[in-house]
Amino acid sequence: MPEIVAPVADIADRGYAHPEVLVSTDWVGERLKDPNVRVVESDEDVLLYETGHIPGAVKIDWVADLNDPLTRDYIDAPRFQRLLRSKGISDNTTIVLYGDKNNWWATYAFWVFKLFGVKNVRLLDGGRLRWVDEGRELSIQVPRYPEGNITISARDDRANRAFRDQVLQHVNGGRRLVDVRSPEEYRGERLHMPEYPNEGALRGGHVPGARSIPWGRAVNPETHTFRPASELRTIYEGENGLQKTDDVIVYCRIGERSSHTWFALTYLLGFEQVRNYDGSWTEWGNLVRAPVEKP
Amino acid sequence: MDRETRIAWLVDHSQRPRFKGKLPDADACVPGGNPGCGDIITMYVKAKPGDDRLEAVRFEGVGCTLSQAAASILAELMNKETPTFGEILDFSYEAMLDLLGRDVAASRPQCATLALGTLKGAVKTVEMNRKLRAAGHTDDEIARLRHDPVQSA
Repeated sequence: MPEIVAPVADIADRGYAHPEVLVSTDWVGERLKDPNVRVVESDEDVLLYETGHIPGAVKIDWVADLNDPLTRDYIDAPRFQRLLRSKGISDNTTIVLYGDKNNWWATYAFWVFKLFGVKNVRLLDGGRLRWVDEGRELSIQVPRYPEGNITISARDDRANRAFRDQVLQHVNGGRRLVDVRSPEEYRGERLHMPEYPNEGALRGGHVPGARSIPWGRAVNPETHTFRPASELRTIYEGENGLQKTDDVIVYCRIGERSSHTWFALTYLLGFEQVRNYDGSWTEWGNLVRAPVEKP
Repeated sequence: MDRETRIAWLVDHSQRPRFKGKLPDADACVPGGNPGCGDIITMYVKAKPGDDRLEAVRFEGVGCTLSQAAASILAELMNKETPTFGEILDFSYEAMLDLLGRDVAASRPQCATLALGTLKGAVKTVEMNRKLRAAGHTDDEIARLRHDPVQSA
């Protein structure tokens, strides 16, 4: 039986623009044996799935499965199709993503799925942490499913992905940028820990004009679930002046945390044009003559 | 070792870490971390007196399964073999990936090598402290230079 944890309002009652993309732990718990629902765990911790996962869930790893092994890019459509079919996913399958770190990598996978135009994909609100906190069952059995038949079309990056030249155009045009890293990273105070090599950026600071809105503000820290739309509007629109019709680019260090904010703005608040800059600070902080702002 | 067995081995080290905890009389205590994912490892190193060789290693840390398993496996290996400083500094990150298993660890090289990188930093600290001492600096002076809570033995 689920343990007593901080309660959350029903997803349908939170005022989201697209509530259908979020599912609750109860929803998943009732469908563990539904052959048309495939639960997919995507974590930062490469071995977390192996320590126990939602029964019946399969694993998709953002590095080993979604990234091209040579070029800094994502896999192509044939490989993505093979990947999903190998997980038993068909055209009529409802895919539910969840993961660690408040769903950083689940939203990142969600974003990649959207680059390929996958329609029937949802996110477990609260992610792995909520599932575990509720005392729900975990399994170490790795399931095997018959090959699926999903058809994947060519990846289209235009609507949801931004590249460095587009970020520069945004800077020069005074358009909206959101830096979702920690305030210390935004201020350029933190690139790496003492006695440990710099993790890939030669300069610290932020893209000029970017607003600092750390990703975690979208999440209720007690429940690990997304805040209701009214609170999200206060954070993004009220405090930071973003509007639904703005052309917004979000970024972080490598695009995982910003995919979380991309998800919140696009699906929970209904922003019309949000792109995730997955090159993020590991690209921008190394670009020769890229403009950098520091307080 | 097949993949399934290796994963079980890694998970076991993560859940039942060996040589975890402070080493009170350490010659060096060096922190390391991955800012992106929040893995933290602190390595405690004690050297054999008068010899450029390890005597004992312990670690503290929090973070992902792989980073903590790697620290435990590395500490176990170091305490068993007590290698020279040179052997530790020559222990490559590639060799660490091989030790853990590339099919699992190669997708998270920073997590897999955090403990080794931190251990190398600790060994360099011990070496430099010995050089500073040989140059006439006191342990208090060295600690002040390093802002280091652990003083040299």
